[in-house]
Amino acid sequence: MRKILLIFLLLGMGLTQHALAQGGKKVTGKIVNADDGTPIPGVSVKVEGAKTGGVMTDVEGSFIIVANPGQKLVFSYVGFTPQTLEVPAGNFPFPMVRLKTSSKELVEVVVRDTYGSHAAKAFTGSEVSVKGAAIENKPYSTIGQALQGQMAGVTVTLNSGQPGANNQIRIRGINSITSQDAAQPLFVIDGMFVTTGNLAQNASTSNALSGLNNDDIENITVLKDAAATAIYGSRGSNGVIVITTKKGRSGKTQVRADAEYGTSANMPLPKAGVMASPAQYRELFNEAFKNYGYTDAQIATVDSTYALNSAGNDWYDLVTRNGTQQQYNISLSGGDEKTRYFSSAGFFNQNATILKSNIRRISGLLNIEHNINKQFSVQTGLNFSNIQQNTPLAGSAYFGSASSSAFFLRPFQLAYNADGSVNSSIVGNGNFPNSGNYNPLYIADHDKRLLSQTRILGNETVKWTIWDQLKYTGYVSIDLQSLEETTFLNPTVGDALSLNGSGRSQYTRFFNWLVRNQLDYRYKIPSLEDVYVDAAVGYEAQRSTNYYNNAYSTGYPATQPDLTAVGVAATPTTASQLFSNFTYAGLYGKANVNFKSRYSLSGSIRREGSSRFGGNNQYGTFWSVGGAWNIDQEKFFMDQSILTGLKLRSSYGTTGNANALNNYTWRPTAGYGFNYNLANGQDYNTIGNTNLKWESSKKFDIGLDLGFFNDRLAVEVDYYNNKIDGLIQTVRLPMELGFASTSVTSGQPQNIGAMTNRGYEITIKGLPIQTRDFTWSVNFNVAKNTNKMTKLATADAPNGNYWLGVGYSYYTWYARQYKGVNPDNGNALWWYDAGKTKDTTNYSPAARVQYGHADPTFTSGLSNTLTYKGISLTFDFYGSFGNRINDNWSYYLNDGAYITGSNKYSYNMKRWTTKGQITDVPKMVYGGGSSSSSSSFSTRFLYKGDFIRLKNVALGYDFKNISLFKKAGLSKLYLYGRATNLWTKIFDDRLPFDPETAVTGVFNEEVPQVRTFTVGVNVGF
Amino acid sequence: MYNMKINKTLYYLLAATMLTSSCKKDFLDEKPSNAVVVTDAIKTSNDLADAVNGMYNLSKATTFFGRDIPVLGDLLADNTYVNVTNSGRYLVENNYTYIATTAEASNIFSQGYYIILQANRIIYEGLKLPSSASNNQLIGEAYAMRGLCYLELVNWFGAPFALNPNADGVPIITQPSYVTGFSLKLSRSKVSEVYARLITDLDSAYALMPANGTNGTTLHATNSDYIAKYATKAIQSRAYLYKGDYANALTAAKLVIDNGGYTLAQTPAAFSAFWTSPTATTTKLETILELNQNASSNIGNTGLDAIFSQSGYGDIQATNDLYNSYSATDSRKTLMINGSRGGAQAYIINKFSNYTNTDKDETKVIRYAEVILTAAESYARTGDEPNALKYLNMIAQLRDPSFGGFASTGAQLITDILNERRKELAFEGLRFFDFTRLNLAFTRPAQPQAYPSYPTVSQTDIRRILPIPQAERDANINITQNPGYGN
Repeated sequence: MRKILLIFLLLGMGLTQHALAQGGKKVTGKIVNADDGTPIPGVSVKVEGAKTGGVMTDVEGSFIIVANPGQKLVFSYVGFTPQTLEVPAGNFPFPMVRLKTSSKELVEVVVRDTYGSHAAKAFTGSEVSVKGAAIENKPYSTIGQALQGQMAGVTVTLNSGQPGANNQIRIRGINSITSQDAAQPLFVIDGMFVTTGNLAQNASTSNALSGLNNDDIENITVLKDAAATAIYGSRGSNGVIVITTKKGRSGKTQVRADAEYGTSANMPLPKAGVMASPAQYRELFNEAFKNYGYTDAQIATVDSTYALNSAGNDWYDLVTRNGTQQQYNISLSGGDEKTRYFSSAGFFNQNATILKSNIRRISGLLNIEHNINKQFSVQTGLNFSNIQQNTPLAGSAYFGSASSSAFFLRPFQLAYNADGSVNSSIVGNGNFPNSGNYNPLYIADHDKRLLSQTRILGNETVKWTIWDQLKYTGYVSIDLQSLEETTFLNPTVGDALSLNGSGRSQYTRFFNWLVRNQLDYRYKIPSLEDVYVDAAVGYEAQRSTNYYNNAYSTGYPATQPDLTAVGVAATPTTASQLFSNFTYAGLYGKANVNFKSRYSLSGSIRREGSSRFGGNNQYGTFWSVGGAWNIDQEKFFMDQSILTGLKLRSSYGTTGNANALNNYTWRPTAGYGFNYNLANGQDYNTIGNTNLKWESSKKFDIGLDLGFFNDRLAVEVDYYNNKIDGLIQTVRLPMELGFASTSVTSGQPQNIGAMTNRGYEITIKGLPIQTRDFTWSVNFNVAKNTNKMTKLATADAPNGNYWLGVGYSYYTWYARQYKGVNPDNGNALWWYDAGKTKDTTNYSPAARVQYGHADPTFTSGLSNTLTYKGISLTFDFYGSFGNRINDNWSYYLNDGAYITGSNKYSYNMKRWTTKGQITDVPKMVYGGGSSSSSSSFSTRFLYKGDFIRLKNVALGYDFKNISLFKKAGLSKLYLYGRATNLWTKIFDDRLPFDPETAVTGVFNEEVPQVRTFTVGVNVGF
Repeated sequence: MYNMKINKTLYYLLAATMLTSSCKKDFLDEKPSNAVVVTDAIKTSNDLADAVNGMYNLSKATTFFGRDIPVLGDLLADNTYVNVTNSGRYLVENNYTYIATTAEASNIFSQGYYIILQANRIIYEGLKLPSSASNNQLIGEAYAMRGLCYLELVNWFGAPFALNPNADGVPIITQPSYVTGFSLKLSRSKVSEVYARLITDLDSAYALMPANGTNGTTLHATNSDYIAKYATKAIQSRAYLYKGDYANALTAAKLVIDNGGYTLAQTPAAFSAFWTSPTATTTKLETILELNQNASSNIGNTGLDAIFSQSGYGDIQATNDLYNSYSATDSRKTLMINGSRGGAQAYIINKFSNYTNTDKDETKVIRYAEVILTAAESYARTGDEPNALKYLNMIAQLRDPSFGGFASTGAQLITDILNERRKELAFEGLRFFDFTRLNLAFTRPAQPQAYPSYPTVSQTDIRRILPIPQAERDANINITQNPGYGN
C-alpha cells in the first residue's frame, strides 16, 4: 500500500507541473446548492459559446477554467436551473455560484460518504438518502424509529415501545448469523465510526444512538452495495449509515425554535390477543378442571385456592398508562463566507405507556467551519448529550417485568389490598407466590433501574488545498460514552427477596478515537476532452477502549426503603472490572474516471488490519469496481420523449464484517478469576483461533434510474446478489483437544458458513400534481430479499424452533403441522407425516416440517405529502410481508395446560365445548389436552406476520405568507399536529400480539409500541 | 522554488504516513484485561503455581471428581440408589439406560480431557522453565494429575485390563492443543497403552518431585489439597490394582505406607472429627488427596454433598444392604443417618456433612485407608496372607474397636478385603471398579423407595463400560464406539 501511495504522490507532482504549464487567465470558483449551501460536484462549467474547454466541479464544488474577463460562464447540472455569470475584470474573485434546484427533491445531486462527495451522476454505487427534514419533529427517541419505511432495503425492526430501545436495523437482509449485533450496519456520524448498540450492562434496553437529536440531522445516506461500501473495508458488509449533522450557512443568522407536546397510549392489542377478562378466565378455568375430571366440589375447592371468587382485575390496564411526549429544540445558524456555524440545544422527554419507563434527553450540537485563507480551512464539530432513562425489566424472561405481567398474571391475583394499599403478599394463589410474576405495581414503586448515559462526540477537520488539484484532509474525532447504572431490588417482593434486597452500581465507558489523513487528487486528462480522474488515498486508524466496573451487594435494611446505595448493604458480593479494546488501521484508495458525466468508472481498495483479526490473518484487502452509464447524456436519447433521465449502473466487490468478531475471540488465552485453596488459579479457557478473520461478502449490484416527465417521476430499480462466506460458527472439536467441557465454551469459532442474500428494490418518487397552490408528492419503496444458507459447519438440523439447513433461510421455522380440533371430542390433531396423509392426537411422533420463515420477504414504505397553500398533510405507511411469527409463550397463554399458571388470550374463548363444533382451539383441559401437548409449539402458533401500518399522519399549517408575522420579525411559523401508529392492518385473525416482532420473529411479551398524538410549533426568526 | 517547497512538504507527509504505518504491528496488538495469551501464561514459577491451581480447580468440578465420578462409582454398583422422590438427576444411571448422548458420560469424558489439557500445558511450558525444586514439584503434580485423569478415563470408557488389554481405551494426548494444532484426529489407544502412559506419568511425577525437605522446599508436602510425592504412588497403587498387577500395586502401596508419613484416625472420635471437618487436611491424617472447596470458591449446590444432603437435592441414599453390612459398633455406620425421604424411611448419607456450611467438604480423591486395603489385597493375591490380614485388620479394627479381627484365608480373605473396601470407601465412587476390574457379576439390591432400577449386572452387560459420547464421535471420525451402544 505504501508503494501505491508513493506512486499517487509522484504522479500528482508530475501532472501538476503539466497543468501549470497551460496558459491563459485562471478563473477559480465554487458552486453550491442554493437550498442548503452544500457544494455540488460534477457541475459542468463552460465558456458561453465555446465548443471545447469545459470543466467539471470537483468534490468540493470547485472549478478552475481558463477564461477572459467579460466572457460568460455557463453552469449546468441535471436537476438544477442552469445559470450564466460573467467573469469579473481585474483580480476580483469569482462570486460563489448558487444553483437552484429545478425539480423538487426528487433527484439527488450529491452523494456524501465518509471519504468525500460524489456527483450523483458519476456515482456507481447503490445508495439511498433521506433529508433531515423528513425525520425531524417526530416523537422518536432513536434514529431507527425515524428511518423505518423511508428507504428501500433498509429494514428497521421496532419491537419495543420502551423509549430509547435498541433498534435492529438490517440492510438487504441478515448478513451475519453470529449475533444480532453482528448484523447491524456501521454508523458513521460526521466522519466518525461511532460506538453503537446497547452498551449498558444491566438496563433492560439502551441505545448508544439515542443521544442523537433527530432534529440535528441534515442528511442520512445509506450505502448498500460494494461500490459504496468496500472502502469501509471489514466493516462495510452490513451496509453503512452515514449521518451528517446540520452545518451553518452564510448569510443572515437564522434562529429556529421548535416545541412539541403530546400524549401517548398503547396501540390496541389485536382482537385475538386481548387477555381474558376475570369472568372469561373463571369460565375457562372451571371448564379445564371439569374436563380434567374434577367434580363440582373439587372445582369449588380449587376455585377458592386460586381466589376465583373475587371481582378480579385487568392486569393489562394496571401495568399500562397514558404516556406523555415533549420536545423543545432551538437552533442558530449563520456566518459569512469565512466562518459559518450551527448550534442547537434540545430537550426531549418521553414517559412511556408502561409503568416506570421513561427517557429524558438533553443534547447540544455545535458545528463551526472557518476558512483561514484560500488554502486552509478548519471545521469543528461537537455533539453532546445526556440521557436519563428508567429501564424497568421488560419481556418474558423476568418475573419482575411489568410488560409480561400483563399477560402472565391471573386476573384473580389482586393488585391492591382491600384497604387500597399495594398487595405485597407472597402467600396464596390470590397473591403473588414465588416462581411466578411478582406484583408489578409493588416492583414499580420499590425497585430502581436507572441509566444515565452521556456522550461527547467531537471532531476536527483540517483541509489544505496544497495546490488546485491536490487537497489534503486531516480528520480526528473522539466518541466518548459513559453510562452509569443504578439498580436496586427491594427486599420485600421480587428477585431479591431471598437476598434481603440487592443493589448494583455499574459504570461503563467507551472511548473511541479515529484519525484519518486523506489526499484527494483531481486530474483532467489533457489530451482528452471532458475526462476527469478523481482519486484519493488515505490512512485511517481507530481505537476503542471500553472500561466497566460493577459493584453488587445484598442485604438491605428492610425498614429503610430509601437507602439503596450499594454501600448500605450488609454483604458486598461482587466487585469486578474489565477492559475491552479494539483497533483498526487501514490504507485506502479510490478513483473515479468520468467522461462528460456520461460514462463513469470507479474503483476502491482498502487494506485493513484489526486487533480483532487472528494473528495469522491480521490484514485483509477489500475492493470494488463499478460503472455508470448516463444514457440520458447520449445523443440517441434525445430522440425519444418518454424518458427524461436514464442511468444504468453496476458494481461488484468485496467487503467484510468484523462485527462478527468480539474483541478477543481469536486470542487463545488463559484466564484468572477464581481461587484454589485461596490462591490464584489460571486456566487455558479460551480456545482462540489464530486463523480467525472477518466474515466476507461478495456483493453484486445492478441498478437502473429512470426519470419521466421532466423528472417529476423518478424510478430506481436495483437487483443485488450478496454472497457471504466465512460466517463464524462454532465447530465442535474432538474432546481430547480439551475444549468440549461444560466448564468452557465448547468448540472453536471458525470461518465456516456461507449464505446468500438476493433481492431487488424499487423506489418510485413522484410529483403527480404540482401547481402554484397545490402539490402532491409521493414516495414509494418496496424491497424483496431472499436469504439462503449455502454452507454450514454442521449437518442440516433443527435449531430450536428453526431449521438450519442448506437451501433454507436462516430463520426458517421448523414445526409440527397442526391439523385442527377433532369435532367429536375436542382433542388437538396434528399431521403425522409431512405429506398430511394421516393425523394423530399424539404430538411427539408428528413430523416436523419447514414452515415459512421469520424474516420478511417484502418490506415497503409509502409516504405522501399534500400541500395546499400553507396547509400540508403527510401520511406514511409501512408494510412488511411474507413472514411467520411466533409467541415464545404460546404454550403458556393458550389452552388449559397452564390454566393455573397464567391468564389466557381471549382467543381461547373459541375453544371446543360441544360435540360437532368446528373450531381451531382444542377443549380446555387442566394440564393440557392431547397428552398435555395441545398447546405445544406447532404451526398453530406460527401466525402470518404481514402487516400494514399507518406510521405517521401530520397536518400542518405554514403561516409564513401572513404579513402579520413578518412584521413581528418571524421568518417562519409552522403549526402541526401529528399522530403515530394510528392504524394497523394484520392479515391473521388468530394473531394475538403486535405483528412487529424482533428479527427472530418471536414475540417475548415486550413493552408494546405506542400511539402518540402531538402538537407542535416551529418558529423561525 | 514553489515546486521544491511542495515536494518537501509531500515528503514530510509521506514520511508521516510511513511512520504511522510502521507502528501498526503494536497498534493492532490488543490483549484482554482478564486473561493472558496462553503461550505467555507460564513464564515464572508463580505462573506455574497458578496454572496448577487452575488444574485442580477444574478437577473438582461437578462433572468430574466433584460429583459425577463418585456418584456413578457407587450408584452403578450396590451402595446407593436414587430415591423415587428425586430432582431428575442420575435416573438413567440408576436404571442402566444410559446411551451415547447421556450427559454424565459425556461430561466425564470432556472434563477429563479439559484437565489433561491444563496438565499438558503445565508440563510443556513448565519444562521450559529453569529447573528448581518447587518447579519440579509443580510439574510433577501435573504429571500425576494427567495420570489420574487417564486412569479415570480408561476405567470408565475402556474394557477392564484383565478382560482385554487390547481393547480400545481412550485417545492419548500429551501436548497442549495449541501445540498439536486443532485439526488432530486421534484414534483410541489400546487399554494397555493407556495404562502404560499413566503409569509412566506417575513414575515421572514421583521422580521429579523432591523428597520432603530436600533443597529446602516443602511446597505442597503436607496439604492434602495438592498431590504430594507419595500421593503419586498412592494413585499408582490404585492403577496397578485395577490393572491386576498386584506385585507392583504392593510395591507402590508399601512406598506410601513406609515413607509417606500418613496416619489413620486412632479413635472413633478422631475418625468422626476427621469427617466433619470441612477444611483441608495438613497433618497427613486419613486423606492423601482431596480437592479444595472453600467458603469463597466451591461448587455450591451442585456438589456430592448436595446430592446426598436432605437440605440439598438429597436424591441419593445408601442401600439397606450397605447399611446392614456395618456392625452396630462400626464408627463408619455413623456416617449414615437412619432418616426419611419423601415420607418414607431411608438411610441418608452424611459422610459429607458440610453442605449447609459456607465452607463445603473437600472433595476426597484418594485416602490412606484405600492404600492400606490395596496393600492387603496385593499381599493376599501374591500369597502373603499374614501381611494381608495385618493390613485388613488395621482398618477393620480401628473403625470398629469391638471387632476381634479377621482370620480368613484363601478366597474368603479376598472376599473379606473387598467387603472392607466397600465399607471403608463407600460414597467415594470406587465400588463399581471392584466389580469391573475383577469382572464380577453383581446384584444391585432392591430398595422399596427406589426409582425404577436394574437389579442384575451380568459379566457381559454392555453398560459395565460407559458409552463414548456421541459429540466426540461426531467431531472425530476415528473414534470407535464401545460395543452395544450402536454405531
